[in-house]
Amino acid sequence: MPGDNRDLRERLERFLTRALGADAVRVTALTRSTEGFSQETFKFDVETVRGATTTTRTYVAKREPVAGLLEPYDLEPEFRVLHALSDDPFPSPPTPWFTRDPAVLERPFYVMECLPGDVPIPAPAADGRGPFTDEERATLGPEVAVALAALHAVDWRARGLGFLGDPGPGRAAAATELARWETRIARSGLPADPAITAALVWLRAHVPSTDEIVLVHGDYRLGNFLVTRGAAGAHLAGVLDWEMVHLGDPLEDLAWCASPLWRAGTEYASAMLPPDEMAAAYAAAAGRTIDPARFRFYDVLTLVKMIAIMQTGIRAFNDGRTSDLRMAIFDHQLPFLLVVLAMTLDFFGGGL
Amino acid sequence: MLTTVERLIDGVVQTLTDAVLPDLTTPFARGQLYAAVDVLRNLRDRVAPRADLADAESDSAAAALERTLAALDAAGERTPGADARDVARRIRAALADVPAAPPLARNAALRAVLVAALTAFATLPDDVARPARAPIAEHLGAQAMRDVAVLKPSMLGEISRG
Repeated sequence: MPGDNRDLRERLERFLTRALGADAVRVTALTRSTEGFSQETFKFDVETVRGATTTTRTYVAKREPVAGLLEPYDLEPEFRVLHALSDDPFPSPPTPWFTRDPAVLERPFYVMECLPGDVPIPAPAADGRGPFTDEERATLGPEVAVALAALHAVDWRARGLGFLGDPGPGRAAAATELARWETRIARSGLPADPAITAALVWLRAHVPSTDEIVLVHGDYRLGNFLVTRGAAGAHLAGVLDWEMVHLGDPLEDLAWCASPLWRAGTEYASAMLPPDEMAAAYAAAAGRTIDPARFRFYDVLTLVKMIAIMQTGIRAFNDGRTSDLRMAIFDHQLPFLLVVLAMTLDFFGGGL
Repeated sequence: MLTTVERLIDGVVQTLTDAVLPDLTTPFARGQLYAAVDVLRNLRDRVAPRADLADAESDSAAAALERTLAALDAAGERTPGADARDVARRIRAALADVPAAPPLARNAALRAVLVAALTAFATLPDDVARPARAPIAEHLGAQAMRDVAVLKPSMLGEISRG
């Protein structure tokens, strides 16, 4: 890595001066974020000088890590999606620039505008409470459901997003996703786990069919929402982390958002609404019914996806390709996930 | 666990020296960090996974597989010619190859038998597979609880917030 912040700042200044067509650019307040466990995220202010005018705007750069949870990395698809949505009412961050040029920051990265708000994380506070008050939940939860419906209503063909790969109607959407995550688990090279095998066998036997192919965010959940708070409650200001964006079944996003994994110590989907209410709010906004069998498939697939992500991080750490201890903690986070899996598939009652 | 104790300690030492030390500004704090690294480096080759935990899992897995075999045998008697007997035969053959010790090797071998059994059940009729799977599912549920029972509460919130 072009090591220290000064070096990084100067490289960004050279890149942004060209990108913005400015007389001069000054990067200040450069910090690396701790929230994202996958890509490297840097936030900074940019002072742009054009003639006698100086403007300041905050940007965020996302760079491919050397190793990480979703390797092998390719930032270009998510950049192309974010860029295509930059003028859409959907609250994604406008994202003007991407480069693979290693001369800039050694690894590919893109730059997006910084939206207002903070990113509540999916963990309970020190006092055990969730991240939102009841008043905040009352405004934020429905907004999150409606925004998801709006995302799924995006005309991805018209936006030029067919390059993501249309799985087509029938069982292909679910089968493609299952295969994607099975491959990641296999690629980790870790010993096959009986509980994970049981889940994969169950999923293979329950692949659902759908004729609705939409733009799926892939990681739509608490922890990736920018939230503003005020007297009028909390509001969704932005949706981040599009690394897993693809074309597929809309219920994949809904199940992910409602998963027990991101409830932050509450009983609510993404710590906002009871799962049934989240599903109902989404269904009303999207004008589609929620098929319980399809939803259950994606509910289980959510756990398998997280298992695959954790195992990928564990493998990167075991191989010494990263010394980021946030990868190491997955070795003792994984058993908690397997408990959720056991409850979801009713291992305790001898189910499956 | 999927990461060895040695690799965990090596990773902690590397992070402390590469990522934490440069940001420590007081001599006392830096001295304490070096002491922590010294402790960890000398701990590295003196710790080993607890054999009693592996034994508990192995005993549970072996018992579950015995119940599974009984279910397959019963199914084989009800419907001669079904694949249940073949699956049972393969499980028994795999079990015969499971070493009695050391505990971690026995545990890993039993896990492999469970994986093979669960995969084989997918080829069986549901009324045969379900009772064969049930003891393994119960074992997996109980094992998941045993695994988390020895873990400390997650610090994911603190790790994310920094």
